[in-house]
Amino acid sequence: MGKYQEEALILANEGVADTTWRLVLECPRIAAEARPGQFVMLQIREGTDPLLRRPFSFHRIHPERAVFEILYRVVGRGTWWLSQTRQGSRVSVVGPLGNAFRPPDRPGPVAVVGGGIGVAPLYELLHQLAKPSAFFGGAVDIHFFYGTRTAAEMLPESTFSELNLPVHRSTDDGTAGFCGTVVDLFRRVLEKDRWRPAVIYACGSLPMQFAVAQWALSRGTPAQLSLESLMACGLGACLGCALPAPDPKAPNADRYVHVCKDGPIFEAGSIRWNKMQPPPVTPPTFVCV
Amino acid sequence: MEQDAAAAGHATDLRVRLGPLTLANPVMVASGTFGYGEEYADFVDLTRLGAVVVKGISLEPRAGNPPPRIVETPSGMINAIGLENVGIDKFLEEKLPALQSRRVPVIVNILGNTADQYVELASRLDGIAGIAALELNISCPNVKEGGMAFGADPAMAGHLVEKVRRATRLPLITKLTPNVTSIAAVAKAVEAAGTDIVSCINTVSALAVDAFSRRPKLANLVGGLSGPAIKPIALRCVYETVQSVRCPVIGIGGIASAVDAMEFLLVGARAIQVGTANFVRPTATMEILEGIERVLRFLGLSRIEDYIGTLDAECRFPFAEEACRF
Repeated sequence: MGKYQEEALILANEGVADTTWRLVLECPRIAAEARPGQFVMLQIREGTDPLLRRPFSFHRIHPERAVFEILYRVVGRGTWWLSQTRQGSRVSVVGPLGNAFRPPDRPGPVAVVGGGIGVAPLYELLHQLAKPSAFFGGAVDIHFFYGTRTAAEMLPESTFSELNLPVHRSTDDGTAGFCGTVVDLFRRVLEKDRWRPAVIYACGSLPMQFAVAQWALSRGTPAQLSLESLMACGLGACLGCALPAPDPKAPNADRYVHVCKDGPIFEAGSIRWNKMQPPPVTPPTFVCV
Repeated sequence: MEQDAAAAGHATDLRVRLGPLTLANPVMVASGTFGYGEEYADFVDLTRLGAVVVKGISLEPRAGNPPPRIVETPSGMINAIGLENVGIDKFLEEKLPALQSRRVPVIVNILGNTADQYVELASRLDGIAGIAALELNISCPNVKEGGMAFGADPAMAGHLVEKVRRATRLPLITKLTPNVTSIAAVAKAVEAAGTDIVSCINTVSALAVDAFSRRPKLANLVGGLSGPAIKPIALRCVYETVQSVRCPVIGIGGIASAVDAMEFLLVGARAIQVGTANFVRPTATMEILEGIERVLRFLGLSRIEDYIGTLDAECRFPFAEEACRF
């Protein structure tokens, strides 16, 4: 499995929800080898400011068309510049990088939990889980839990209709679906329906992933979490994207894993959550009436 | 014309001599920006590099600083990795053999908390096949002990180099910090103490904070600034160092293109190291190497040695010579 630096052709760059954009790139070598959960480092524009590439996960992979898609939220200067990039221009991409989601270790129901822009890598995963594919496929009883802060930030329902699986929606402000966080919704469904996943896949904000990890660890359910970090190289050279990790041999020693090389997909138990900086905090909540 | 030169066997001669060290070309990678080489093997033909300077090595493995460790700033980045590395044992067992098989000169960057640790590292690496030189890291701004503490004081730096010099026959490169009043004074001290080569600069001590959360952007509070933002500082440091010592100088700091590299050679650096640019474009070193050849051909030079240190420092304006008197 190689890594490449390619000048990708932008086939589309369009808004799909509030502050959320979809970038479609023709990029043959990277599209041919990409797997769900992996990511690319994308150079926002020529020049030195912004200087560093930005990491983005694969949202859809179409190797037969030499195309992949990324879904991104405009949150800062880099993503703002990216949203201004026109169809027909080219953008430098390095990838595919990092590890990928692994198929479930054991048979049984699958829970996929996505918060906000965390839906990005989960969409390709859902496709591969729901339809026969080289790595996944055959999984039955997949439930997708999808939450955003407000209805305007949510991908349209039609996005998921082709997957033909239950989608449980939540918004923090109650403007669509369940009123509350996606983790609240996840817990609610599990309590009410007595439905138990054999494996969890998740991506979202740090507090959301923390909550999913705690739930999974307390019940011994395997959970694969797609985590993010500030990174410079994406290749394991700069060692900037460190996350605290437990060391079985020395529980109190500082030890770090690196999101770009050891991840971005981590088992819930492979991160030392209480050492995360800044510490997990409760996201801003809305009053649900 | 290009084809004629190649057909007649007049390819550009990029070989550079740095005291006891001769390199096939002046393009190296800076320590800490290229891992142990394998990380870039998909993008760079390692055999084409002048040398690979590996991630700094200490006696014991080091975990590094808590995250967040990096932050982007205008045309640069600040890092506080904290010298995370695998330690000398694992380096010799796993990392070095993989690099040796690539047949590229390896320069090992070494660091310690005490002078004795530097000495032990140097003596353990002495005589190991495939190691072309040692680079003494006495300039890291991100660790509490060792690092910059050694490199900021001419007397301490000289004392350390003297001790390490006695412990190894390998060519010795001393990497200097810009975070001093006079880099020339430190350069002179380490030259007198027996370093063969000096390299400069390491990162510039820097701070980034968030106006809204009112928090520092790095867990370590301060870190080292690198990237194009520091190039003018680096160029000045290299110039001052070249003017003050006789030993060869390696230029480092914000080199992202062949023209950047040429600027360092122009002020007298005999080789250069590419750092942050590797993160931005994994193929940066290959592009810089090819670009240097093109610039030399453009200037009508067949040997890079004919270009090094040829800065015409005299101020000249073709239309207003009196302007130079200011």
